Amino acid sequence: MTMTPSLRKFVLTAHVASSVGWLGAVVAYLALAVAALTIQDAQTVRAAWIAMELTGWFVIVPLSLASLLIGLVQSLSTPWGLFRHYWVLVKFLLTVFATIILLLHMPTVSYFAGIAAETNSANLGGLGGELLHAGGGLLVLLVTTTLSVYKPPGMTPYGRRKQDEQRTMS
Amino acid sequence: MSQTHVGPARRSNTSTPGWVKMFGIIALVLVLLFVILLLADPGRHGPGRHTQSGDPGRHTSPIEHGVQQP
Repeated sequence: MTMTPSLRKFVLTAHVASSVGWLGAVVAYLALAVAALTIQDAQTVRAAWIAMELTGWFVIVPLSLASLLIGLVQSLSTPWGLFRHYWVLVKFLLTVFATIILLLHMPTVSYFAGIAAETNSANLGGLGGELLHAGGGLLVLLVTTTLSVYKPPGMTPYGRRKQDEQRTMS
Repeated sequence: MSQTHVGPARRSNTSTPGWVKMFGIIALVLVLLFVILLLADPGRHGPGRHTQSGDPGRHTSPIEHGVQQP
């Protein structure tokens, strides 16, 4: 699968935008959790849960899926490939891991947001888990961003085999 | 965020790079840590906690607001 240079640029722009947007949205999510934990006012905690649910489902989840899918298309349509270079493979695995954890965790956020929306009580207990999940997610996204910028060398056995095949053919 | 062109010829090395080994060790340590935490307190995490039937509110401490909703 090959793309024209202009299409490649467009896909690269979409991938960078979705990935950086995902990172920024997680920082905003983390700020809501920290604010709720430090202020500990019932209204603030309730508002934070509702805002975190909205941010999660309508910003973070779509951006994570966009980043994953666009990155997948991009890797398979450029010489980098998906399984040829360790940095691409590690980044892909980290992104899949982060997306799965996010999708598994969001129902819990919805549960607490539902309590916050329907009652006059607010739960502080779940916020510790939010710090852990959002903090871990932020760390993973910073690692993937660093891998993208530095592109540390190293080809997988599959990548080396493909490279040898191409050299033999040319 | 890969670029459109593969950079200059990279160092041909048949062994696994050190940074990949380091990532593998860190991942292994994190998985072990997670398993230990799970064994220490089975109800604290896992798929059950991520569903509404898993009683996610088990560790919560409610802040009650003064006015009840009608």
